[in-house]
Amino acid sequence: MSRLTILLWQVAIALGLAVVWEWGYSLHDRLPWLVPELLDPYFVSKPSAIYDQFLHASCLVDKRGIWNDWGNGQFSKCMARSENNLWVATLITLKNTLAGFAVGTTSGFILGLALGRSDRLTAIFQPFIVAANSIPRIALAPIIILAFGLGDASKIVTAWLVVVFLVFFNTFEGARSVDRDHISAARLLGASEWQITRTVIVPSTMAWLFASLTPAISFALIGVILGEFIGAQQGIGRMIIEAEARGEAAGMMVAVFVLMIVGVILATIVRRVQNHLLRWRPQSAGNL
Amino acid sequence: MTIRIETRDLGKTFVVDGRAMRAVDGVSLAIREGEFVALLGPSGCGKSTILNMIATLLPNSSGDILIDGQPIDRRRPSRNVGYVFQRDTLFPWRTVQANIGYALELAGVAAGERRERTQTALAQAGLQGFGHYYPTSLSGGMRQRAALMRTLIVQPQILLMDEPFGALDTHTKLEMHRVLLNIWEREKQTVLFVTHDLGEALTLSDRIILLSARPGRIKEEFTVDFPRPRDAVTLRETPAYAALFSRIWHSLGEEFVKGAQP
Repeated sequence: MSRLTILLWQVAIALGLAVVWEWGYSLHDRLPWLVPELLDPYFVSKPSAIYDQFLHASCLVDKRGIWNDWGNGQFSKCMARSENNLWVATLITLKNTLAGFAVGTTSGFILGLALGRSDRLTAIFQPFIVAANSIPRIALAPIIILAFGLGDASKIVTAWLVVVFLVFFNTFEGARSVDRDHISAARLLGASEWQITRTVIVPSTMAWLFASLTPAISFALIGVILGEFIGAQQGIGRMIIEAEARGEAAGMMVAVFVLMIVGVILATIVRRVQNHLLRWRPQSAGNL
Repeated sequence: MTIRIETRDLGKTFVVDGRAMRAVDGVSLAIREGEFVALLGPSGCGKSTILNMIATLLPNSSGDILIDGQPIDRRRPSRNVGYVFQRDTLFPWRTVQANIGYALELAGVAAGERRERTQTALAQAGLQGFGHYYPTSLSGGMRQRAALMRTLIVQPQILLMDEPFGALDTHTKLEMHRVLLNIWEREKQTVLFVTHDLGEALTLSDRIILLSARPGRIKEEFTVDFPRPRDAVTLRETPAYAALFSRIWHSLGEEFVKGAQP
C-alpha cells in the first residue's frame, strides 16, 4: 500500500470515530440495540464539547466564548485566576515525569550494572529485589503521598518507583550478557579492570538500557498521574479528579487528550535519541 | 637466535560432565625471534587451547609457558604480545577507526598522534574511507582486517593468531594472506598462527608444527623454506609447494581419520 492510501485510511477511520462519537448517541432513543449506553455524552462527552472545554481550560477564550486578547492582558488574567489551568497542569506533570524518568533510569542503570557484574551482590540482594518487584506499585502510592506530601516530590518518587525496576532488570540482563570475547580482547589490548568496565561493559550494557527507555518514559508518566490521582494540588491527574468530582466529562477528556499528546511527544523524542545512540546496530525495521 | 615463545611439557585437562578430558599433552615448543610458525592440526586437536594458554586466556593444567624467558602472568598479559581472535571481536559500538585506535586510547596516546597512526593503519589494511563506518556495515574480510590492525597498532613483537581467517571465503582469505605477509615482511614479528588449513600454513609460515588428534601432541615438524617475499597466489603453482603439500597432507590425513573416530 502506498503511504497516501494508508494516510487516507487513517484519516477516514479517525473521522468515522469522531462522527459516531459526536452524533451517535442521538440515535439511542430510536435504535437502543445499536447504540451502547457508553456513548452517552454524560460519560464520554462529545468532540465539540471537548474542543470548547479545551479553549476554556487553556484560557484561549473567556466565559462568553470570545477569544482572549493577548495584548490587553485578558489571557494572563485568566491564567492567574486558576492555579491549575491547562498550561500549568501540563507543565507540572511534564516536569515531574522527566524528573522521575531521569532519576529512575540513572538509579536503575547503576543498580543493574553493579548487580549484573557481581555474583556476590546478586546472591545477597536477589530475594529483596524479587520481593520488592512483586509489590503492585499502585499499592505504595498512598504511602508515598503520606511520606512526601502533596507536592512534586511524591510524584517524582512514584514515577521513580515504576521506572527503576524496569530499567534495573534490563540493565542487569545486559550486564550479564556482555560478550566474554570483547572483555578478553580488551584485556589483551592492555585494558585495566577499570578500563574494561568503562570501555566495554558500560557501552555494551547501554544498548540494553536504551531499549528500555521508551517504555520507561511511558511508565514515568503513568507514575506521575497515579501520584496526582491520590493526592496533589496541581497537574493533569489533579484536573481529571476535579472534573470527575464536578461530573464534567469534557474536562476529563481534555486532560486525557493532553496526556495522549504529551505521551506521544515524549515517546517520539526518546525513540529518536535511542535510535541515534544505537546507530551502530543493524537497522531493525518497522518498530511502532 | 633468541627464543621468544617457549612451552615446556604443556598440558591441559578439561572437566566435562564430571569426567576429565585430556585436550593437550606434553607439548614443548620453542619459537625464535622473527619466526612465523603455524600450528596445524585437525579440528578439536587442542591447537587453539595451546594458543589460548600462551595468550593467558586459559590457565594451563601442567607444564610451563615462557615469553622472552619469563613465565607468563595471567593477571598481567605482556604488552609485547598481540592476539587476533578467530571470531570478529571488534566493538560494535565503536567506529572502525575508534576500534583500531582503541589500544592507543588505553595507553593514553594523545588524540592527534592517535588519529595519525590510525589513518596509517587504515591505509595499510586497505580501509581508507571506512574509518567512520560501524563494523556491522562492513564485510567479513574488512572487519577481520580492522581487527588485525586493532592488534597491530601498538606494534606487538609477538603475534598469536587463532584461525583468524577461518570464517572467510577462499578469495578473501588470499587477500588477507597478502595483507598479513606485507606487514610481516616489514615488521618481522614472531608469529604463532593456528590453522587447520594446510595451504594457509604453507603460504605463510617458516615452520609447521603438526599436532596429532586429541589429545594434542606434537606429531611432526616441517620446515617451509620457500623463498620470501612470497606471493600467496603464485606460490601455490610451484612444484616445491606441491611436493611439501602432499608430504604434510599424508601425515595430516592420518590425524583427520583418527579425529573422526568416536
